[in-house]
Amino acid sequence: MSDNKKRIQIDNDHPLFNKEGLFFKEFPSDFRQIRYFTLMVVQNAPPEIKEINLLEQQISEIIKNAVKHGNHNDTNKKVKIWYEFTESSAHIIVEDEGPGFQKLKEWNDFNEKRLSCYARHDFEELGNYVSYRTEDSDDHDGGNALFAAIEYWNEGVVFTQKANCIALKKTFPTRNRSIKIS
Amino acid sequence: MELKIRKHNETYIIDIQGELDLYHSFKLKELVSKMLEKKITRFIINMEEVEYIDSSGIGALIYVVSTVKKQNHQIVICNIHGSVLKVIELTKLVGYFPMANSIDESIQMIS
Repeated sequence: MSDNKKRIQIDNDHPLFNKEGLFFKEFPSDFRQIRYFTLMVVQNAPPEIKEINLLEQQISEIIKNAVKHGNHNDTNKKVKIWYEFTESSAHIIVEDEGPGFQKLKEWNDFNEKRLSCYARHDFEELGNYVSYRTEDSDDHDGGNALFAAIEYWNEGVVFTQKANCIALKKTFPTRNRSIKIS
Repeated sequence: MELKIRKHNETYIIDIQGELDLYHSFKLKELVSKMLEKKITRFIINMEEVEYIDSSGIGALIYVVSTVKKQNHQIVICNIHGSVLKVIELTKLVGYFPMANSIDESIQMIS
């Protein structure tokens, strides 16, 4: 995996924003229903990629960010979700009506320092980088959702320039590998 | 999510049952804060019956571990399994969290 993929990218024209053939759902930004909305999306996924509930958990984080940090739990504002699941991949695009996540560069720099602590096994110093917080964060925010996201979504985590729309994709190893003859 | 407390000598075991998610995680932070006020110094967080955790739950674990450690008290998280372990691995917190495979192992680590 290239280092580029360990950073959140900003690219309006990234192929992960291609919505062609994807399913679509739209939800009001109701904080209490985030996990329910997530289940409505994930129910379409084949069991091979659900990994108990890891896929659900990762998608729930992205929807939560849109509902809470994007739309500030304003139920008049919608969260739009495009998605496609196969036995070997999960692809999702989530858009909110907020001003966008403006701190992408700061987040990438913070994450780089965090990964460097981890690589050095400096767990004392890592303690300073376990949670990314902004003035928008509250006590309920773990500040670690995107750390896991950047590891989990191995085909990329990409924001649009405005940063109110995120696209993520993961490919899974297939169980029965067939031999390809090219 | 439910939290149950039991005692083994001077160590308090918190058994978590259910989902440590964005709707429930604050309860763990509140409980540990109250226990610290009551001068409790040895904690075991038993995750045996937790099948789901999200970033709020991870945040709650970071909060309780860092708060207890700052006061030079002891805490171990045990019986982490399934997708909970995977989320902790993805977040690269293995090594940061004091983790054990069982209550017995946790008690040994603390005493």
